[in-house]
Amino acid sequence: MENPDISNNTMVLVENLDVVFGNKHIVHDVSFSVEEGEIIGMFGISGAGKTTIIRVLTCQIEKKNWNGNVLVTGLSPSKRGNHSKILSNIGYVPQLELLNLYFELDPIVNVEIFTSTYGMDKKKAIITAEKLFNILDIPKDTWKKRVKRMSGGEKKRLSMAIGLIHHPKVLFLDEPTTGVDASKRYDILSYLKKLNQQLNTTMFIITHDLEAALICDKSAILREGKLLEFDTPQNLINSLPSRGLVARISIENLNQEIIKTIQKYPSIEKVLRVGNETIEVLMEDFEDNLPKLMKFLFENELKVYSMSRDVANFRRYFQIRIQEEEEKENRKNRSELMNEGDSP
Amino acid sequence: MTISGLIQKEFIRIKSDRRTLILLFFIPMILIIIFGLTTGVGPTKFFTAAIISRDEMPTYDDFPSNSSEYDDIFISIMEQNSTTWDLYSQFNSTNIGEYNQAFNRCFYLLKNEFIDVFIILPQNFSESIVNNSNPVLIYYIDGSDSSAVRALEVAIQEPLALFRVEINMIENFTIMVPHLEFGVPSWESQLLNYALALILPIIIVGTTMNLTSLSIVSEGPLPRMLITPTAKRDIIFSKLIANTVVMIMQATEIFIMTSFFGLYSLGSLFDFYLVLMLIGFCGVAIGLFISAVSPTEQGANQMYLMMFIIIIIFSGTLMPAESLGGAKFLADILPLSHASVLITDITLRGLPLNLEHVFFILIISLVFLIIAYVAYKFKKLEV
Ligand SMILES: Nc1ncnc2c1ncn2[C@@H]1O[C@H](COP(=O)(O)OP(=O)(O)OP(=O)(O)O)[C@@H](O)[C@H]1O
Ligand SMILES: [Mg+2]
Repeated sequence: MENPDISNNTMVLVENLDVVFGNKHIVHDVSFSVEEGEIIGMFGISGAGKTTIIRVLTCQIEKKNWNGNVLVTGLSPSKRGNHSKILSNIGYVPQLELLNLYFELDPIVNVEIFTSTYGMDKKKAIITAEKLFNILDIPKDTWKKRVKRMSGGEKKRLSMAIGLIHHPKVLFLDEPTTGVDASKRYDILSYLKKLNQQLNTTMFIITHDLEAALICDKSAILREGKLLEFDTPQNLINSLPSRGLVARISIENLNQEIIKTIQKYPSIEKVLRVGNETIEVLMEDFEDNLPKLMKFLFENELKVYSMSRDVANFRRYFQIRIQEEEEKENRKNRSELMNEGDSP
Repeated sequence: MTISGLIQKEFIRIKSDRRTLILLFFIPMILIIIFGLTTGVGPTKFFTAAIISRDEMPTYDDFPSNSSEYDDIFISIMEQNSTTWDLYSQFNSTNIGEYNQAFNRCFYLLKNEFIDVFIILPQNFSESIVNNSNPVLIYYIDGSDSSAVRALEVAIQEPLALFRVEINMIENFTIMVPHLEFGVPSWESQLLNYALALILPIIIVGTTMNLTSLSIVSEGPLPRMLITPTAKRDIIFSKLIANTVVMIMQATEIFIMTSFFGLYSLGSLFDFYLVLMLIGFCGVAIGLFISAVSPTEQGANQMYLMMFIIIIIFSGTLMPAESLGGAKFLADILPLSHASVLITDITLRGLPLNLEHVFFILIISLVFLIIAYVAYKFKKLEV
C-alpha cells in the first residue's frame, strides 16, 4: 500500500538501510526483500551487524539512528504509530530462553501471559499452543510443570512455540541453534522447516551457524555492516569457479611455501587450507585441469597422500567469500598506504 | 493490549514466589501473635501514679467560692477514665507542712516502686485554666531507665488529652519533669506494645519494598515483552497496581490480627490501618524506583538493603529527630519518620490523622514513582 512497487507478498523490504550510533557506522547501505513463506538466513561473523538489522525491523531502534526505506509486513517502523501493528504481525524468538520464558511458571501459563499481551482470546490461544506443542514434540507431561524443569531442547522449542502463538506473518529468530549440541542443532532446524511448511510462516533467521543454510531459501551474507550476497545458497555455490567443484588434497609436510607453489599453477582460482595437511582447490575448467594439476604436483616433488573431489557446501562458500573480501580490503589498504607515501 | 492481562501476570509471578509470600504474610502474623501474647489481650493499666494537689482557687469578688474543681477532674480522670493509668493515692495539701509530708511519702513510694510517677498540681492549676493560660504540671519520675522515661513521657499524654477534651481546654500544659534516679523499673512487656506500633510499619515498608524492588529486574522476559504490542507505561503501571494490592492485603492482615490481639491504641485503629497502607504504598513506590534504576537483581538487592537501613536510621525511632542535626532533612524526605509520628499520635495520643504528615508521605511516594517511571522509560532493554 505504501509502496506500489512491491507485491502483497513481500513480508520484509529493506532498501538502502544505514544504521549509525554516534560516530559508529554499523550498517552500510543494505538492501534485500523477503517474500511470504520464505526462510531467510542472515549469516555473518560476530559484530557484523545482524542483530542490529533485526532490531531495526522489530522497532527497537529509534528512527534517528537509521536511514532508508524499511517495510515490515507493509508497514514502516519509522512511524511510531505503526509499531504496535508491526509488533502484532511479527514474532520473535530471542537467543536466550531466559529472556523469553518465565522459568518459574509452567508452559501453559507462559502461553497465557504472552497471548494476553496480544489481546488474544485465551481459549483459542491454548488450542493453538497445543497444536504447536504437538508439532514441536513438547512432551505432554511437561505442559503443567515449571519450565525450569524442562530440558534445554524443550525450552528452545517452547520458546519457538511462544514466538508463533499469535500466528505472526514473520518470525524472527536470533541464533536459534547457538549453544545447542550438534545433534540437537539439526533437530531444531528440521522443526523450523516443519513449522514453515505447515504454517507457511515466513522466517528470518540470524546466525553464525552455517549449517542453518540447509533449510534456507535464501542466504544473506553480512560482513562489517555490508551485505555481500543475497541469494539462494545453491546459486551462491554455483557462482564459484566450476560451479563449486573442489579437489581436496592431502600433502605431506604441507606449509605456506608449498601453498604458494601450488597457487602458481595457472588456472587455480583458490587454495584453501582446511586442515593441517589438507587443502581444497578451486579451478576454472575443473575436469580438464584436475589431471594437469596432479601432474604439476608430482613435477614439484610434492608427496600427495590422497585426493578426492567434492562439491563445495555453503560453509566453504562462506569461507571463500569472506576471505575474498578480506583480501580485497587488504589490497585497498595497501594501495592507500602507498598513495599516502607518494604524496607528502 | 489489555492491561488486565499484565496485572494478572504480575499476580501469577508473585504467587509463584513462595519465599516472598512467607516474608509478606507469615512474619507479621508471627510477630503480632508473639507481641500480643506478651502484652496480654485488652487494655492494661501500665503505669501507677500518685498525685499531690496544691490547687487553690483565689477568692475574688465576682467568683463565688474558692472551690478548686479542675484538680478534682484531673484526679478523677486518672482514677477512672484513663486506660493506661492506675491511681495509687492522692494528697491534698494547701500548706507547706502538708505538702512536705506528702512529698516525702511519694518519694518513698517512687523509690520502692509502688508507683512509677508522682504528679504535682501547683497552686494556680485551676486559676491558669480559668484564665486561659498554660497550667503547669510537674511529675517526678525514676530517671534511671531512659527508655522507661520516654514511655512515661508518651503515656502521660493520655490523661492530659482526656482532661483537655473533658473541659474543652485549648491551651497546652507546661510540663516539668524532675528526674530522680532509682533502680530500673520492670515494664519491658508494656514497652513492647509501644514498639509493635513502630515495628509494624517497618515490616510493611521493608517487605513491600523488597518484593517490588525485584519486580522489574528479576523479570527476564520483560525486554522481550516490548517486542509485543505492550507499552512500557502499561508494564510499570501493572506492577504498581499488583504490588499495591498485595501490600493492601498485607496491611489488612496486620490490621485484623492486631485488632484480634488487642493492640493498644488510644486513637482509631482504622486510622492506624490507613497509615499502614500509606507507608506500604510508599514502600511500593521506593521498590519500583529501585527496580527501575538497578541494572541487575544483585544491584537491586544491595540498593534495597541500603535504602531500608537508611530509612530505619532516619525514621526518628532509633534516634530522635532533634538529635540528627544537619541530617534532619533526610528524616523529612524519608517516609518512616512521618509514619512513626502518625502512629504514635494515633495509638498513644489518640489524635486524628495529621494531614501534614500524610501529605508528606504521599509526596515522597509520588516523587519516587515519577523517578521510577522516567528511569524505566529510558532504561535500555535489549534482547
Ligand atoms: N546501541 C549501540 N551503540 C553503539 N554500538 C552498537 C550498538 N549496538 C550495536 N553496536 C555495535 O554494532 C556492531 C554490530 O553489532 P550486532 O549486535 O548487530 O552484531 P551481530 O552481528 O549480531 O554479532 P553477534 O553475532 O555477536 O551477535 C558491534 O560492533 C556493536 O558493538
Ligand atoms: Mg547478535
